[in-house]
Amino acid sequence: MSRPAGAPGAPAAAARAGGRAGAVLLAAALAGCGVLPALPPSVPDDVVPTAVAPTGPAGSLDGAEALSPDGFDAVQRMAVRIRNVGCSGLSTGSGFAVDEHTLITNRHVVADSETLEVSTYDGRDLEVSAAGSASLADLALVRTTDPLPSYPTLADEDPRPGDAVTVVGYPQGGKLTVTAGEVIGPTTDPLHENLGEVLLTDAPVEPGSSGSAALDEQGRVIGVVYAKTSDDRSLLVPRSTLEQLLEDTGEFRALPPCEPAADGSQEPGSPSDAPSVPPAG
Amino acid sequence: MSASSAWPPPPDPAAPAAGDGGAPVRRRGRRTAVVVLSVLLVAALGIGAYLWLTTTRWQEHSAAWEDEAREYAARVAALDAELAATDAELVAAREQLATATARITDLANEKAQLGDENVASQQYLDYQRRVSEAAGVVTTALGDCVDAQSQLITYLEDRGSYDEKDLDRFASDVEKLCRQASKASDQLQQELEQ
Repeated sequence: MSRPAGAPGAPAAAARAGGRAGAVLLAAALAGCGVLPALPPSVPDDVVPTAVAPTGPAGSLDGAEALSPDGFDAVQRMAVRIRNVGCSGLSTGSGFAVDEHTLITNRHVVADSETLEVSTYDGRDLEVSAAGSASLADLALVRTTDPLPSYPTLADEDPRPGDAVTVVGYPQGGKLTVTAGEVIGPTTDPLHENLGEVLLTDAPVEPGSSGSAALDEQGRVIGVVYAKTSDDRSLLVPRSTLEQLLEDTGEFRALPPCEPAADGSQEPGSPSDAPSVPPAG
Repeated sequence: MSASSAWPPPPDPAAPAAGDGGAPVRRRGRRTAVVVLSVLLVAALGIGAYLWLTTTRWQEHSAAWEDEAREYAARVAALDAELAATDAELVAAREQLATATARITDLANEKAQLGDENVASQQYLDYQRRVSEAAGVVTTALGDCVDAQSQLITYLEDRGSYDEKDLDRFASDVEKLCRQASKASDQLQQELEQ
């Protein structure tokens, strides 16, 4: 309902208009406060986070996985060189640790020995306390008085054809050498030294490599080198055979002492006592 | 709606006429406008002051952040330089480590080879000693054989002074001794020929 201007209700209307305008102004002021920028917060003294997150994936440091107390990796630290001083000669072979005081090698590496001398990758000599060989496989177990530097674990299962294999040992009795190849597959033992199947690989080995550890890509033992074929392939005693024998170390018999050579050790020319002079008649 | 509000109220004799009341209304409107404008002016001044304060504070804030950013940039640059130097040292250390491990491997091999040679030499010396001892024994045996044969000849030249059975036994012993000495000599010869 409209009311004419100048009517008696005009002052009230003006007051209402003023109040409305005030309300509008107040609302505008409040709305304006909403759009006005806030005062800046104070600048922090330190914005460096206390825990710095790594910038790369774990273990991305080049060569970090190969760090060791002396720069040699575990593959090299577990290998040992075995010198077999026999009654009739000298031979060398390889071996590897399976625990702090036990190492594995081949039976033919330690056979016919008068003394066994074990040395590590860095040239330290370890005293041998006992040695025994298995009858069902070309494997031998040597105990040392001194602790071995490092030892690997056995793989969970035998390798399959095509799996990578690394052999670490002392070919020709020379430098510690690491060679690589692939598993070709199981085969029958051409030397008839082992019960059951053995493994054939194309990793190069040489005389003196006997007893070397064959490792998978994770550095776990998958076999023990015991021979090479005429076409330069290597034969391994498989991990499963080694595991069976390690579970029952009674399978390892103490090594018999070496037999002196028939004509070499017996002093040449040792006639019986000289004849006694006959009594004077 | 009530009937009283449906009709305009009766004119108030005390109220000013419509033609007279226009001026106060205008004055009141002007006063209201002045008040509103004053309020607006005050508000504008307040807002302006606030904006000036805000701008100043934000400028200070921005300057403080810039200073801090420059400080961190300087630290980053210094750390980058340190990192580069450390990387270079690490590379050099790794090269030295590789050289050292290779040298250790070589030395271990040399030691092993010397050990092999030492053992082989010792075995050869032992063999030579045994051969020498055997040669001495063979020589002694052959000498004993010669001596015994000489003795036998002496006995035989004076057979009457000795019992015949003793002479036969002595001759048999001498023959056995000489056979053994000869066999030992042959063994030694074979050993030396190997």
